[in-house]
Amino acid sequence: MRRRQFFGLAGGLALGRGEASTRCGCALSLAEQPTGAEAFRGVGSKVRVTSLKVFGVSIEPQSDRPYVFVKLETDAGLVGWGEATLEGKAGAVIACVNDFHEFLIGADPVQVEHHWQSMYVHSFYRAGPVMGSAISGIDQALWDLRGKILGLPVYKLLGGPVDPRGVRGYYHARAGTREELVKLRETAAKEGVTCFKSGIPGLYEWIETRAKIERAVRQMQTLREGLGPDIDIAVDFHAKTSPSVASILVKEAEPLNLLFIEEPCPPENVKAMARIARRSTTPIATGERLIASYSCRELIEMGVADILQPDICHVGGITALWKAGAMAEASGISMAPHACEGPIGGIATLHVDAAMPNFLVQEVCSGVRPERKEKIWEEWLGFPAMRMVEGRFPLPDKPGLGFELSEDALKKYPFGGTRPMARVFHEDGSVAEW
Amino acid sequence: MAGTEIFIEDLRAWAVREPVSRRAYTILRIRTRSGLAGYGECAGITAAELARARPLLLGQPATAYEVLDRRLAELPNARAAVNVALLDIAGKFARAPIFQVLGGPTRHKARAMTALTGASDAARAAGFRAFVVPVPPPAAPNQGQAFVNAVRRRLEALRAAGAEDLVLDGGGLLSPGDAAGLASALERFHLLWFDEPCATSALGAIRKLAAENVTPLGFGRNARQASEFQDLLREDAVDVIRPSLARHGISPIRKMAALAEAYYVAVAPYHDGGPVATAAALQLAASLPNFFIQQIPLPEAEEDRKMRAELTSQPVELVKDGFAALPTGPGLGITVNEEALKKYGEAVA
Repeated sequence: MRRRQFFGLAGGLALGRGEASTRCGCALSLAEQPTGAEAFRGVGSKVRVTSLKVFGVSIEPQSDRPYVFVKLETDAGLVGWGEATLEGKAGAVIACVNDFHEFLIGADPVQVEHHWQSMYVHSFYRAGPVMGSAISGIDQALWDLRGKILGLPVYKLLGGPVDPRGVRGYYHARAGTREELVKLRETAAKEGVTCFKSGIPGLYEWIETRAKIERAVRQMQTLREGLGPDIDIAVDFHAKTSPSVASILVKEAEPLNLLFIEEPCPPENVKAMARIARRSTTPIATGERLIASYSCRELIEMGVADILQPDICHVGGITALWKAGAMAEASGISMAPHACEGPIGGIATLHVDAAMPNFLVQEVCSGVRPERKEKIWEEWLGFPAMRMVEGRFPLPDKPGLGFELSEDALKKYPFGGTRPMARVFHEDGSVAEW
Repeated sequence: MAGTEIFIEDLRAWAVREPVSRRAYTILRIRTRSGLAGYGECAGITAAELARARPLLLGQPATAYEVLDRRLAELPNARAAVNVALLDIAGKFARAPIFQVLGGPTRHKARAMTALTGASDAARAAGFRAFVVPVPPPAAPNQGQAFVNAVRRRLEALRAAGAEDLVLDGGGLLSPGDAAGLASALERFHLLWFDEPCATSALGAIRKLAAENVTPLGFGRNARQASEFQDLLREDAVDVIRPSLARHGISPIRKMAALAEAYYVAVAPYHDGGPVATAAALQLAASLPNFFIQQIPLPEAEEDRKMRAELTSQPVELVKDGFAALPTGPGLGITVNEEALKKYGEAVA
């Protein structure tokens, strides 16, 4: 018996009914809890989770975003993989995944919604980004197992695919000059890529000078001029701008007919973002930092976002991304999920994308040409993961998430430890958003 | 903790006036039993107000600036100066600049701007790169296109002369309708912001003005309390809050800045007083995360500038390439020259 359990029982035994307790009212003793998994005997599946493993994987030793992969093993010999990568906080997420050990050992992986609720609700304080990412990784691994147990790819369990050709995506346009963009446009035409995303240059204070504003506007104009009238262009402000500055830029960008402008201001104050949206016709996309479907509610209700972008590695996995999509659908809002982590989260997102009628476009943090990262992903999974064919990510046909991954393959890239994300400062030394 | 108890023993003030501009302000001094002296500044204080403040302050703990701020609620002028003076004492006691006492420095220099009445040459020579330009005083309510064109021409002429970053100062003089016309006409001019485009009394009118165009708006030099900023922020009506140093001192503005921070709104404290308040403003700037720019008065007359420098022994208003250097000594980081106070002003008694 564990110490905690022992004290809980002792407390319960020592006190008679109605007797005053010195135990505080917010510490429920374990003895009073219902029986959990045992109560579902006969209505669940027969498969049980037997082990939980977490891997920190640094494909570059100094990376600020080592992948955090979650592996669940079962008594049926099936394994499930998920991704809990959280940039800058790898150590915390690994610890948080392990905190859920007792929730998972002996659990029936089929009842994912039940486990999601238990992890979220029974954590009492609800989830921030660390716990949101931990739940996300576990949730994806449970879905991978569910699909394998039930014999269907996850997108079919979710009722898809909406489009059997696959999931429309965009690459990042890193090119800066007009000439480079014209070249990119030619490559895109050859490859069938229909959409790109780019950013705005530099750092922004909460009020800005004409020089900085006009530089950003020129950069957006160059994107349209270089990529031409037929490619969809999204511009990510990355919450570098305040509502005051973003309102100016978003309005100036109206003639460029952008697909969307992303995160025009930081995410804590929905009403402040509404100020931007109200004063322009340019579509607004946001949501990569949101945790659980609850956090999407205000954005949807207030008519702020035209497009929601929850991240399957933070929002709470497949379960929570699908719910955010369902809420958005009711208000005619499209989904363009954020993805800037590893291949497992990317593939998991494709399954949800393929089952959402209001899906717009899927991100991958890659350029139009595969580089080292994309080659490592292919080496791990045995196919070019998260690479588009004719502008779409192909859907796997195998049960679960649809890939095999061996622990040995990851050993080449050991965990390099937690590294902070970029820290940037304004000219006067004050803290800047990037 | 007995070693940290210091008590207020004495309170006095001097009214000073710049010889040419006639700009007036009052410097207040608090002395502790242990012999520390702290200085603050406000627009003006009467002998009667000073007499009412004394029994509220004498014998009280000098570091309790937050507690004593409340005691002075009925004496708004004294309140601002006392707040700064008590923080000056706290800093001197801690042998640290006020911005360190308050959790800074959040920056190593403070962006600065100054008001222009004529050409920008002198202000540029003094190191300023951002300027406040007043609208011409409107002859009557409801201006026409001629007024809009006159303002635009003035701004364009300044830009052509190299004054790139401009705040248009409406001074609260325009009707909301005139202000809206001007804000829309200047939307693509990219002012830093349009300050006090109309009076803050009609919140509904301001909300409409702010919803119609994207020219950033600044408000608040006349605001008496934080709740006025809360109203403007809640109504999505403000892009820069401008609490006045002379009205509030340091710590009340920190609370207003905390409100604005939650809306991603910048703070640019209003200041048209003397050099002690400038020192306070720079201390404040280096303690805030959402500070954007500090207005610093730059008198045209050499005589006035000389007086300002003398009052603080060494000049504190040192601007280079658009940024003011932070004072680094304890407290306000200045040594107030009481001989100069007597030379340029008179004791309030």
